[in-house]
Amino acid sequence: MKTPSNSIKRRFALKFLRTLVRIRKSTHQPSPSQSSTWEIRRRAQRIKLAAYSSMARTVGSKRAWSRALTMKLRAAMGNRPWSMIKQESKKMTRRKLIAKRKRHMEKDLNSGVQELRRLVPGGQWMDPLSLMQETAHFLRCLETQVRVMRSIVAEGEGFPC
Amino acid sequence: MSSRRSHSRQSGSSRITEDQIADLVSKLQRLIPELRNRHSDKVSASKVLQETCNYIRSLHKEVDDLSERLSELLASLETDSDQAAIIRSLLM
Repeated sequence: MKTPSNSIKRRFALKFLRTLVRIRKSTHQPSPSQSSTWEIRRRAQRIKLAAYSSMARTVGSKRAWSRALTMKLRAAMGNRPWSMIKQESKKMTRRKLIAKRKRHMEKDLNSGVQELRRLVPGGQWMDPLSLMQETAHFLRCLETQVRVMRSIVAEGEGFPC
Repeated sequence: MSSRRSHSRQSGSSRITEDQIADLVSKLQRLIPELRNRHSDKVSASKVLQETCNYIRSLHKEVDDLSERLSELLASLETDSDQAAIIRSLLM
């Protein structure tokens, strides 16, 4: 039975693989000498960003978390720190005020919800209900991303060199 | 305090029923490997949220680790035909 997540999985895998090919082309050393640890680490960062951005692009603008993640990634790829995004429009400021009021309602689940807000892209500005719904979708997409990455690694590492 | 409402979303209103939150919390519970098999036990909402956070963090960590391994893989692939073979085998 084809579930929606199957198509997300496939579309993500295609985007991610294409980006991997591009990364490899732009970083591959012509000489067969070992890449330095620094180069490997640097490329790992690019691959990581490629994974999140491929997933964000696969989901598109349909979910609040994917829109927020796209914004974050644009800032990160411009080499600015992940946390310092100052692109707040007036709409965001008003939403922040609403969110602040709503946070006062979360006495019981407080610490769990606060932590979740930090982990889910865009979580700072969501009402608790939306936060839960976005979390569920985000979680499933993140799992899909990890599964695809695992199978690529398994394929690659199973290859005799 | 909170009254029963229909499931329609009211963007202006800030009334969230306990039922709606409980529904979503149990939906989240089913997604988390740690808690999935414990429907019969009463898992508190804050425990579900805590485990959700832990699970998300562990997934991020795994992405880090897998990215590192992928980077090493890309370094070790000698020719384009290796990588084409990998891609073909994954997509077919």
